[in-house]
Amino acid sequence: MIFFFALGMITTQIILAQESKTVTGTVTDPGGMPLPGVTVKEKGTSNGVATDFDGNFSIDVVSNTSILEFSYVGMTTTEQVVGSQNSLVVKMQSDEQALDEVVLIGYGSQQRKAVSTAVTKVDTEDFNQGVVQSPLELIQGKVAGLQITRAGGNNPNGSTAIQLRGVTSLKGSMNPLIVIDGIPGGNLDLLQQNDIESFDVLKDGAAAAIYGTRGTNGVILITTKKGKNGVSTFNYSTFVSRDYVNSKPDFLSAAKTRALIAEGIISEDQDLGASTDIFDLLVNKTNLTQYHNFVASGGAKTSNYRASLYYKDSEGIAVENGRQEFGVRASFNQTGLDDKLTFSSSVAVNINDANLLGGGQFGAVNSWNPTAPIYAPFNNSVEGMLTNNGRYGFYQPENGFNPFSEYANRINQRKQLTFSGDVKLGYEFIPGLIGSVFGSYQRNSWDDRRYRSTQDYQQYTGEFNGTGFAYKASRLNFTQTVEPTLTFSKDFGDNSFELLGGYSYQYSTQEDYRMETGGFTTDGFLDWNFGAGNALTDDSLPNPVLTSFKEDNTLIAYFTRLSYSYKDRYFIQASVRHEGSSRFGANNKWASFPAISGAWVISDENFMQDASWLNNLKLRAGYGLTGNQGIPNYQSIVTLGGGGKYPIYDDAGTPTYYQTYGPVKNPNPDLRWETKKELNIGVDFGILYNKLSGSIDLYSRRTEDLLYDYTVPQPPFVRPTIFTNVGDITNKGIEVALNYRVVDQGDFKWSVDLVGSYQENELTSLSNERFSVAELPGGNLGNPGNLGNAILNTEGGPIGNFYGKRFAGFTVDGKWLFHKADGTIARADDMSPREDNAIIGNGLPKYFASFTNTFRYKNFDLTVLLRGKFKYDILNTVDMFYGNKKLLPGNILNSAVGKYNMIDESPQYSDYYLENGDFVKLDNLTLGYNFSLPDNSLFSALRIFGSARNLATFTGYTGRDPEVEDTGLNPGIDDRNNFYPRTITVTAGVNVNF
Amino acid sequence: MGLLLTIGCTDLEETTYSELSESNFYKTELELIQATLRPFTHMQAWLSWSGESGYYYHNELSADQTAWPQKGRHGYDSGDHIRQHYHTWTSQESRLNSAWELMWTGVGFVNNSIESIQAVDAASIGVTQERLESIIAESKVLRAYHYMKIMDMWGNVPIITTVGEPAEPATNSREEVFAFVEKELLENVEKLQPLSPQLLGRVSRAVGYAILSEFYLNAEVWSGTPRWEESIKYSDKIIDGEGGSLTGNIALDQDPLGPFDNTNEESPENIFQFPYSRINDFGYNWSGLYMGFTNMQEALDVTYSGNNAFVVVPTAFNAYKENDIRKKEWFLFGPQYIFGTDTPILGTEEYRGKPFVYVNNIRRNSEGQTGVGSMTEGEENSGARFNKYRSGRQDDDNYLEGDFVIYRLTEIYFNKAEALMRLNNGNATPEAVNLINESKMRYFTEEDWTNEAYTTSTLTMNELLAERGREFIFEGKRRTDLIRFGAFTTNSWWDHQPSGNPDLTIYPIPFRQLQANPNLVQNPGYDE
Repeated sequence: MIFFFALGMITTQIILAQESKTVTGTVTDPGGMPLPGVTVKEKGTSNGVATDFDGNFSIDVVSNTSILEFSYVGMTTTEQVVGSQNSLVVKMQSDEQALDEVVLIGYGSQQRKAVSTAVTKVDTEDFNQGVVQSPLELIQGKVAGLQITRAGGNNPNGSTAIQLRGVTSLKGSMNPLIVIDGIPGGNLDLLQQNDIESFDVLKDGAAAAIYGTRGTNGVILITTKKGKNGVSTFNYSTFVSRDYVNSKPDFLSAAKTRALIAEGIISEDQDLGASTDIFDLLVNKTNLTQYHNFVASGGAKTSNYRASLYYKDSEGIAVENGRQEFGVRASFNQTGLDDKLTFSSSVAVNINDANLLGGGQFGAVNSWNPTAPIYAPFNNSVEGMLTNNGRYGFYQPENGFNPFSEYANRINQRKQLTFSGDVKLGYEFIPGLIGSVFGSYQRNSWDDRRYRSTQDYQQYTGEFNGTGFAYKASRLNFTQTVEPTLTFSKDFGDNSFELLGGYSYQYSTQEDYRMETGGFTTDGFLDWNFGAGNALTDDSLPNPVLTSFKEDNTLIAYFTRLSYSYKDRYFIQASVRHEGSSRFGANNKWASFPAISGAWVISDENFMQDASWLNNLKLRAGYGLTGNQGIPNYQSIVTLGGGGKYPIYDDAGTPTYYQTYGPVKNPNPDLRWETKKELNIGVDFGILYNKLSGSIDLYSRRTEDLLYDYTVPQPPFVRPTIFTNVGDITNKGIEVALNYRVVDQGDFKWSVDLVGSYQENELTSLSNERFSVAELPGGNLGNPGNLGNAILNTEGGPIGNFYGKRFAGFTVDGKWLFHKADGTIARADDMSPREDNAIIGNGLPKYFASFTNTFRYKNFDLTVLLRGKFKYDILNTVDMFYGNKKLLPGNILNSAVGKYNMIDESPQYSDYYLENGDFVKLDNLTLGYNFSLPDNSLFSALRIFGSARNLATFTGYTGRDPEVEDTGLNPGIDDRNNFYPRTITVTAGVNVNF
Repeated sequence: MGLLLTIGCTDLEETTYSELSESNFYKTELELIQATLRPFTHMQAWLSWSGESGYYYHNELSADQTAWPQKGRHGYDSGDHIRQHYHTWTSQESRLNSAWELMWTGVGFVNNSIESIQAVDAASIGVTQERLESIIAESKVLRAYHYMKIMDMWGNVPIITTVGEPAEPATNSREEVFAFVEKELLENVEKLQPLSPQLLGRVSRAVGYAILSEFYLNAEVWSGTPRWEESIKYSDKIIDGEGGSLTGNIALDQDPLGPFDNTNEESPENIFQFPYSRINDFGYNWSGLYMGFTNMQEALDVTYSGNNAFVVVPTAFNAYKENDIRKKEWFLFGPQYIFGTDTPILGTEEYRGKPFVYVNNIRRNSEGQTGVGSMTEGEENSGARFNKYRSGRQDDDNYLEGDFVIYRLTEIYFNKAEALMRLNNGNATPEAVNLINESKMRYFTEEDWTNEAYTTSTLTMNELLAERGREFIFEGKRRTDLIRFGAFTTNSWWDHQPSGNPDLTIYPIPFRQLQANPNLVQNPGYDE
């Protein structure tokens, strides 16, 4: 980094002397103040100087026809022909490009300058480089307040948790609404990173309120690339990437096990004679992911098109852990009738085949005896021989499982097809009045198939009596949306306004069915001949299972928005969405979500004209209501569901078992929205000719009428709980986004983006006059020992408190000691959870920061992204359970006989295992090179790049990865059951245009 | 804009597909029965050993026969089972709250089906009014049974017969609950059909009499007034065959495993049972509570394994003489072998890789511990184990087809004998001795029996309690019996010391329920 910086400084300072004319002069800013450090360059040469502290320069040029180029960060580059003059005075103009940016605001767009709410836009050029599993990872660390976490590692079949501005709900959805090219609830599987033009993130209530009941968690508007009129191009991009394990749990090796046997710590009969590093064997060391994307785009005068085809073959770090996908996204736009009629349409298809068999077996590491072989002959009784429950060549441990026997004998695959199509037709009836209709159809379907062969351990030991088992399941989701809108815009002198009105109808349905049966006496059919499964008729085998399911819901809304500006300096915007959902109770189907916001561009005021260093200063304030309809269907009405079968006997005494039916829930006809009220105050600024620009936002939000399953008096209610609106959550925070163009002239450019946020979440209320819960426990630690819940969220407290015992030491023989509430110290059995447990930490990060450095030197570019989370605790459950000799004869960590050797009692949950989670990751390092191509080249652009993700982690946390699940109500628990390796991903790619 | 507001659908009614709405059910007699049977499938979740924390769990673990000790790294479970054993529970017990919710959900199901069926116009669905009333009578007796068991657990609770009303009902005294149960039983029992193979698993008249026999036997505890004669009266009705029977002639089963094996629907003594059937998807499952880990599968030649949870308290196992057939037939004890061989089963925890032997103590033998042990010092092989009910081997045609018995004739014999003795100042009468001997003689050889038979002098009240324990071990009845004999808070067993606190004979109202309903009143001696 320093190297590049130094290099840059040298370049700007070098003066190459030439014969001929000398020109001197002064460069000033728009206010007439001298500007030091301006690059003055003779165009077409490498001859250049910089202005001194007083803005003066002196340069030798070739002739009077030489052109001088003046460039400076935040200023528009200007050129001037030298001519006959020997002295020049140049006044540079501010580069207002940032303010010309078009920002999407939902059902419309605005110039950046007019935006009065908290909206962050990220364009293609600012995306993270390298391979991503979810398109949202392209903007990880780019948007203040947006958390994107892959707690499960880089599994190609894993999921990404997204959360904006903290926890907003107890039971409802916490995912932001994704809108892809206007399709609300768009499917991220349909997006390829090369197809994305930009993300617009609507963060505050006033911005998101136009999306009503789906706006509470924020809205992410994604725009895909479109063809350009008059330019026909092809683009091909490709990359290959590989994952490397960067941390693995430190369990005993075979050699260490034998050493411990020699010491008498592990009993002698535990040496099974082999040496197996099961974790290592489960890693697919030659994993390789490849990606190909081919785009054809172009356009005529009144139409354009873009078609993008892709193929991706992903291999995870685990064996049997892959995903192949291909698809297409095509868009077409046309105008007609003197540009009054606009038509646009796009379709996207994704077809993928996932191998779900592998990836989930790393947990074997905690039960596998490292001296056990993978393959062993069956033997269960002969003295002196290896005891093995397994058959067909595989060793089968008594506790735990052999992953390789599963790989050999099982199938677990998903074939998925996702489709979306949309069409929009608009017509300008009179100047300024545009009516349009938008319609979309999305469909997502998949088929799962599973098979366990006759040689599978589960089949030959269990009730299947050595026969095979087949499973098939299918899902079909589709969503239809129709949204007609009408906009009218008009300017009257200094006043301009725009009025939007619209209607929205969205119908979604989900259909599932599943069948499974056993009794396959041959593996010749796999799951392709269900009739061959004998369980259909053989009563001694488990009954076949047949299920099917359907649900649907409807969302209907009317919305309107008025935007008004005066003198292009004062902006005000008001909107309301009146919306109803089938999911809510008969008494509360509909509600309204109003919002108002305003902005004042202070820097445009006359009294600010002298402050020429200040290029932009805008004050924003907004207040808006949003809802959350992300809850299950049918929660407000009484439904009868099956309660299991019970017999009715005929006269001969022969039973028929009939399904019984009873109420599934207590109905709640008052069920309504969770409503979030949010105030956001922000300031946007650009100083020193926008060399430093950024924004600061303060928000305070309160989500009311939180839904939760409350205990109802029983009797008289049938069921113990009712799903009802009671509590409140408040979130407060500050978000800062800064861009500093450190060097932006000449061959070397360096810009820095700093994004940071601070957040407080409080569970303000969980009770009302009728319902109350004092606390919401969560994060169950499970067995062995059934240690209960790690986290206790209490009314009035912050979210994510660890609640448990306070460690006080060990007895001389290694038993746990804890502090009791009365100040005494006691053993585990004498601890009363009610009285003696205390708040011992908090798992929710309070500070988030990311720091992007982008360097360009000539044709090279280098991006360095650092990202961190701060001020939170992690419960190291891996150490807690496996760093304990009592867990023998499962496998244990080396630390169990090292750092934790003194412990001689079963695991106990206490603050002993809480650690500071603060970390900084070197998240992305990308080096690219853009070839300078001659005019006659076949290609119009050619770029190669190499990228590394998750390259290094700086943390005091002793576990594998401090980036644990930190969204939701139970954050900060390092999942001891998910040993999926954390990896460094290295990518190399090529991108050409022709 | 006006145009936009007037177009478009605004219908937001929900359509159900995979659940039923109330408006399209209760249309045929079968549907009425299907609704009536919903509480039955639910009841097994709290009354039998389905693994949930219900009535069974509490009635067993607080008493003197079974315990769920911590066994090394397994079974601590937040100390839940330990507090049951030592009688140190509080109103915060989560399993007690589960029991409350499960049992009252059962009442809710019954109330819901009675209300819905009462609203049906019998003629319109082609059912006679008489038939409708008999369906409702069955539900009302079932509801009375729920209240009897709830009263056994918590004493003072609200009496509710309609769903949802009042929203926050007030507590009734145990005497009031007792009177309600009595009234409901007496009004409806005679409307029930006599027990026959067609009414297996249903509330037949014999079941109604059995409930009344139990109800009056415990009347002194539950209402303050003894009602021994009425207990005898209803016991007699069953013994005399007035309630009907499964086999045409109700009688004690001479096979010690007859009431419990996988064809126990044919046992002549069974009165009320959950007709579990693996083939018919009504799962029969004690394995969660009683079965060992996977290593024990081969010992029984079965396909299920369990949590190695409940064990027999050493003093309870010692209560059986060595020549008592029950001691061999109803328990797993000593070295365990692969079924039908002399190949030892191996341990997986403290005795990993070593022959697996159940021992009659609960202590850390592997660490050389001696003495009485404790609830936290168990090992994988501590205590004798359950083998009373039998699933059969995995290739048995009736594998996992056995029923869980709620009432069997032997209990009625014991009820009558006890009532007779109590009417006789706690002294045995010849009739009482006969009743108990008829049960007990099944478990001894003819030559042993001469020494083992009770006489009016050897059948003391203490001996009756002991024999009742030996007979009904694992049947989920022991806490109620100990309380009725005044032994629950005064007796010692294994390492359990008596509290002497009579408040412990009813459980506290769970804390969560007190929070949800301010009109509930906590039982005496417990914190709010």
